[in-house]
Formats: sequence, structure tokens, C-alpha cells
Amino acid sequence: MTVAAASLSTSDGGLEPFDPALDHFARLGLDRAWRVDRNALEDGYLDRSRRYHPDRHAGADAATRRAALEHSAALNEAYQVLRDRVRRAEYLVKLGGVDLDSSDPQTGAPHPEQSFLIEMIERRERLEAVSSGGTEALEQLRDEIEAELEQVFDAGVAALERGDTRAAAAELVHRRYLQRFNDEVGALLDELEAGSG
Amino acid sequence: MAQSIDIQGGGLFQIAEPEAPSKRRRKPGKAIGIDLGTTHSLVAIAPNGAAPRVLADAEGQTLLHSVVSYAGGEVVVGRAARAVAVEHPEQVLSSVKRFMGRGPKDIDFTHPYRLADDAQVVRLDVADPGQPPRYVSPVEVSARILEVLRDRAEHELDDDVSGAVITVPAYFDEAQRQATKDAGRIAGLEVFRLLAEPTAAALAYGLDRQGRGEHGEGSFAVYDLGGGTFDISILRLRAGVFQVLATSGDSALGGDDFDRALAGHLRELAKLSAPSPAQQQELMLAARAAKEALSDAEVTSVTLERCELGPTQVTRAQLDALILPLVKRTIKVSKAALSDAGVDKRELDGVVLVGGSTRVPLVRKLVEQAFGREPLADIDPDKVVAYGAAIQADILSGSEREGVTLLDVVPLSLGLETMGGIVEKIIPRNATIPISARQVFTNYSEKQTGMTVHVVQGERELADDCRSLARFELRGIPRLPPSMARVEITFELDADALLTVTARELMTGVKQSIEVKPTYGLSGDEVDELVMDSLDHAREDFAARNLAEARVEMGRVMLALRTAIDEVGSIEGMLDPEEHAQILAALVECEAVMQQSEHADPINKAREQLEKRSEPFARRRMERALRAGMAGKSLAEIESALAEEQALDERRGAHAAEVIEPQ
Repeated sequence: MTVAAASLSTSDGGLEPFDPALDHFARLGLDRAWRVDRNALEDGYLDRSRRYHPDRHAGADAATRRAALEHSAALNEAYQVLRDRVRRAEYLVKLGGVDLDSSDPQTGAPHPEQSFLIEMIERRERLEAVSSGGTEALEQLRDEIEAELEQVFDAGVAALERGDTRAAAAELVHRRYLQRFNDEVGALLDELEAGSG
Repeated sequence: MAQSIDIQGGGLFQIAEPEAPSKRRRKPGKAIGIDLGTTHSLVAIAPNGAAPRVLADAEGQTLLHSVVSYAGGEVVVGRAARAVAVEHPEQVLSSVKRFMGRGPKDIDFTHPYRLADDAQVVRLDVADPGQPPRYVSPVEVSARILEVLRDRAEHELDDDVSGAVITVPAYFDEAQRQATKDAGRIAGLEVFRLLAEPTAAALAYGLDRQGRGEHGEGSFAVYDLGGGTFDISILRLRAGVFQVLATSGDSALGGDDFDRALAGHLRELAKLSAPSPAQQQELMLAARAAKEALSDAEVTSVTLERCELGPTQVTRAQLDALILPLVKRTIKVSKAALSDAGVDKRELDGVVLVGGSTRVPLVRKLVEQAFGREPLADIDPDKVVAYGAAIQADILSGSEREGVTLLDVVPLSLGLETMGGIVEKIIPRNATIPISARQVFTNYSEKQTGMTVHVVQGERELADDCRSLARFELRGIPRLPPSMARVEITFELDADALLTVTARELMTGVKQSIEVKPTYGLSGDEVDELVMDSLDHAREDFAARNLAEARVEMGRVMLALRTAIDEVGSIEGMLDPEEHAQILAALVECEAVMQQSEHADPINKAREQLEKRSEPFARRRMERALRAGMAGKSLAEIESALAEEQALDERRGAHAAEVIEPQ
């Protein structure tokens, strides 16, 4: 058991410095693409977590502990983004130069065209109309929106895969609008259920 | 010159200097795991990869009742304390965990104790009747319990304990966690980590199952229903990494609520509309006893003397009907946790039951239905948490336990209050720690040079409905047109879930970093005080360290001043003879104080006076340096020259420290 203690102290010197410039794919040892092999993602993340986790360097010097913290935090961030198909798609769009979280006219989220916004207004009117009609009508609306969410997302992925970042960004912006609407429908349903139960 | 943003703490918060890393060496095999429970506590060890075992007291008892008696001015912990609880209802404290990290306004449950009239802090008056008040905090009370367990472990190890892992409900917020950590410090323990109870249980279970499947892989749900809290965690073991995928719960739902529901039923049967405290006590005790009896029997009989209720049958079906809504609530939360984890119930390899309230048959039945499998309970549900804590303590003590790394999550979202009291989430719940996340904020008018940063924790939309963790004033934002100033706020949670907030103004690149320490009303000084009270010599050590620091600092200032007088004192206009004489006199006096004083305070006072006296001289030196530098030099060069000057002063100081080593 003293051997184990000795090997711990020697392994502690071996952490390479943290490189903040790596993208999430490179950080987990993956190719930059929308299609990600689930096993490669899990293994890439877990192998590196085992190596870098601060608990494994609890007895090391301050610089090593700092490096372990930075490596681990970046790994966790990369994993959270890449394991979620929507966040992964949005991240690829960001790497392509369009940040959906920004309102910058050049590099920020593109504005949805007017026809789409009019559609959203009509949906909202419909929600108001059915919200008093009980859970069934709401559930039907939710199912429709969820089907549409899938369609829009697939279109976004198709654009990504042919390298058209602008088109992908436009679809993903639509998806965000629909998602927010869907969340509202879901919240209304929860309220009705809570009220009846 | 570089500090154009400054952050000031306020309210319940402290801004602490980043804690110096522990000087104590982590000794493999000398760390302990503690389950600090609401009703009972345990200590376990698992040295150097060994199987965990729970330690017993001299009489062979492993469970320590989490009860502390202050009756007669004497501190008694455990069974002996519980035995006198009826005689001294206000001096014998039980379930103190429910007060941890809470302010008086959070205490919305009934209890027999006398609370101090204090706006921020829960303090309990444990003085005997007729005596002047004697206040204790829940943190101290918990520390007394921890001390007993520490002593038990030191006896067993025949050595000092190098550190401890203490378990907390997964759903404990930052304030409750900090209170638990402080209790550990007061008990003389270095707290390596606070570990979520369900995670600890899964650690104990998962290790037993290592090697199953291709990578020793398995997914588990841990359903933990204790006396006062409910936790659910979804975890995965794969490739030697234990990953918490999601955790959720209800910190105010437990077996006590089952008792209350049944007591209400009995009260109706007894036709009591307003029971006396004694009757209320009888109802609760009878309800608990009946609930426990109904875990094995289908029917039991209740007789209430004080409530004048003759022998009455209570069936399991009646109990089930009463508690069904409560158990259903836990099932709903459990399903949400599965969904958060992105795990289908069919993918689970096991469901683990933890906590005494999982002995209730209805709980087992509904858990089985919800997860579609029979729950595991083959490790004693009372001990499994302590086992897991001991395993994690062994890992953190530096022993190389077979490949287990634990990836934990933050149970509740962390965010900032924005305009209109709306919460902007910065770190979402169930994010794996360590993690860092940032958000950019901007100014709304040219006149705005500051902003209030209010850090909150919780899932609600409005800051008022979340738990307030910290409030800072950010000042010194440059005057810029609306939306042009950019302040980037970074939240960083380390593996201990300790939060650091960094603010950076992006136009100037100016940066400030602080460590946020949620408090529960005890100041850092008070905690230090309590730590010292618990250690015989700590106060003297502390004084000695203060004295040494005061001498070093005094030496640094004196040397820097002497050097400055030698270098520029003779230059025209820098130092007139009268001022020169005054400074020299002050220096001589300081020298004398430093030689004679055995306390830090007089030395610090003398140093402050010296600094005050020499301040005009220092300012003239600074101005001269600036003027000299201005001639054809860039601002950056001036700044670097000044920085060099400062560094030089510090080096002089460091040198002086060696010269004036005490003794």
C-alpha cells in the first residue's frame, strides 16, 4: 500500500498545461461533425475525467490542482454540449461563425422571416382558443408542435451536413421559437393536471 | 491604478481570501466517512482499499443518536442524552440537522426549543430553567456529535484522523452545506468533501457490482427517504467512473410527515379539536409506533390515555390511504429525475433503497411500480451511506483505490438576479462539477458606473423565491454609451462545489476575483472562534502566528522607509529636517515596540502610526516617480516601473522577515 502512495505522488507531476483554445470536439478526442459515436463520446469523456478529476490530484501542488480543475471544468462543459443533439448542432453553427446566443447583426442569430413570425402569432391565437378546452386539445397541439420541432431540427442538421451554416442557423432559430412555445404548452398542461389531481 | 472595478460584499455574505491549501499531509488510510443523520449518525472506515466497516462504541453500538443534551450545563451526546429528553425538553436537542444553514424565518415546522430573537441566525437557548440564557448554534451542536464519532475513529485507528467525508442530503443548498462543513471544522476534522447521501449509497452498492457487463457498467436509481428529507439520484458506473446524471428531491418531505398524517387521523378518532401539547406528543408517538408496526403487520391496535381513546384498530390500508399523496409526490419527483438524466427506467440495473422510511410497504410497492423492478435493499439501509462516505474518504486521503472517480453534480441552479427581479441561470441544476460558466452584462445608461450582482440558488423564476446566496456591488465601470460597457461575470464551481465569482470589464480587461462563501448567519470570525474553543492550544497558536505576522509586516515597512530615506531623503523638497526627525523618532519607537511586545496588537498599532506619519513623504516619492516617468514614457512603462518599485519593496520586506524571525 505504500507503493500506491508513492505512485500517486509521482503521477501528479504529469498534467499537461490547460489549453483554452481547444474546441469541444478536440477536447474529447472526436472529429468535428454532427454525427458523433455515442461510445466514443462516453469513453473519450470518462477516460479523460478519470485522468484529470481534481480528486485524483488532491495532494498535488497548487499549479497541478489548478490545471486539474481547468481541464475537468472544460471536459464537463464539452460533454454537456456534445451529448445533447440540439446543443451540439447549435455549437457546430457557432463554430461555423453564427452565435445563436448573440444579437450581433453580423455574427448573431439571424432574424426569422416575417412569414414564420406570422405563423407563430397564429399558433399563439390557437393556444388561447384551446387552453380552455381541456387537456385533450392541448395535448393534440403539443403533439403537432413536437412533430414540427423534429422536422425543423432535421432540416437544420441536413444544412449542417452539407456545410451551409447560414441555412442551419435559420432552421435552429425557428426551432428555438417552437421550443419555447412547446414549453409554454407543457407548462399549461402541468397546471391543468395539478389542478385536477 | 489597475483596480477600476471593486467588489464589495454585503448582507449575509463574506468574501474570503482563497483558502490556503491544507498544510496537513493527507495520510492514506487515516480518513473517515461520517453519515451525519437527522435521527442518528455513524462513522465508517475503509482504509487503503479495504471493504468499509462501521465503527462501534465501547458497548458495541454503531448507531449514535443525533441528540445532544445541555441539561445541568453539561454536554452529553447520544443515547444518554435521549434518555433525559422527556425531563428536559428544551435542553435536549434532537433533529438539529433541520436547523442547519437556516435563518429563523426558514423554521416553519414545530419544535419545542427556545430560539434567540436574532434576525439572521438560528440560536437555541439551552440554559436550565431560571438560569441566564445560554445560546448554541445548530453548527456547534452538530460539531458535538461529530466529535464523538471522531474520537471513536481515533481510538480504532490508534492515530489522528487525517480527514473526513461527511454526507449531506443531495438537495442541501450551499448554505446548508457550508454549515455542515463548519461543524466538521469545529469538531477538529479536515473535511475533504461533503458527499451527497444517495451518491454515497450508490458508491457502496456500485463497487460491489463492479465487473458486470462490458466495462463494469451499470445505472442505478437511489431512492432515499429519511425522517425529514427525500432525495432521488440517478447514477451511472462505467469504465471506473461514477457519474451522477441527475439528482432531485424535496428537503421537507419524510417519514415525519407520514407520522403527522396518521396522528391527524387518530386525533379525529379521538374527537379532539385542539389537543394540548402533551396530547399532541402522545398522538405523534402513537402514530410513529403504529406506522412501524404496520411495516410487518396488516393491522395494529392503538390506545391513547391522554386523548381518551380506547383500544382502536388501525389497518395498513388506512395508513396507505393517508400517506398515498405523500408517496406519490416522491414518485413524481423520481420520474422527473429520470427524465433529467435522460435515462429510461428499462435501462436501470438497479434501484437502491436508503433511509428508514423505505421500510414502509407502500413506499416499496410504488417504487417498484415506478421503476418496473424490485428495489435492492441487501446492504443495511442504515449503514450504506456511511460505507460510501468511508470509500470516498479513502480515495481522497490519497490511497489509490481501484480506479474509482466520482463525478458529482450541483443539485440546484445558480444564477443572477436581473432587471425586474428575474433570475438568469448561469449554472443549471445537475451540471457536473467542476464547471465554469459566464454571462456578459451591459450598461443601460452612460451614467451607470456600477451594478448590483445578486447571486441566488434555486429553480424558481423570481429571485425572491430562490435562496439568496450573495450580493455584491460592482463599481468602476467606465462611462460609456448604453450597451457599450461589457461586464463578464464568471461562475466557477470547483469539485467541492465552492463557488468563485469573477467579474471582468471587457473594454479595459480589468479583472476582480472573489470566493463566495454562503453563510448561515455565523461570521467567519465566529466560526474561527468556535474552532479555537474546540482545540486546546489553537488560541495560543493563533496568537503566535498573529505576532509573527505583525513582526514581519512591521519589519517590511520599516526597512522600506529607511531605504527610501537613504535614497531620496536628501533631495531638495522631499523631506524637510523636521519631518525627517519625526520619522526617525517614530522608527526608533517602532523598533522598541517590536522588541518588547509579545502581542500583535501594539505592533500593528505602532506600524499604522508610522505609516500615517510617513504618508506625505511616500506621496511625494510617488509624484516624483510619476513626473520622472512621464517624460517620454508610455503609461504602460510607468505602470511597470511602479510595479517594479512595489515588487522591490516587497523583496526588501521578505528579506527583513528573515532578519527579524521571532526569538
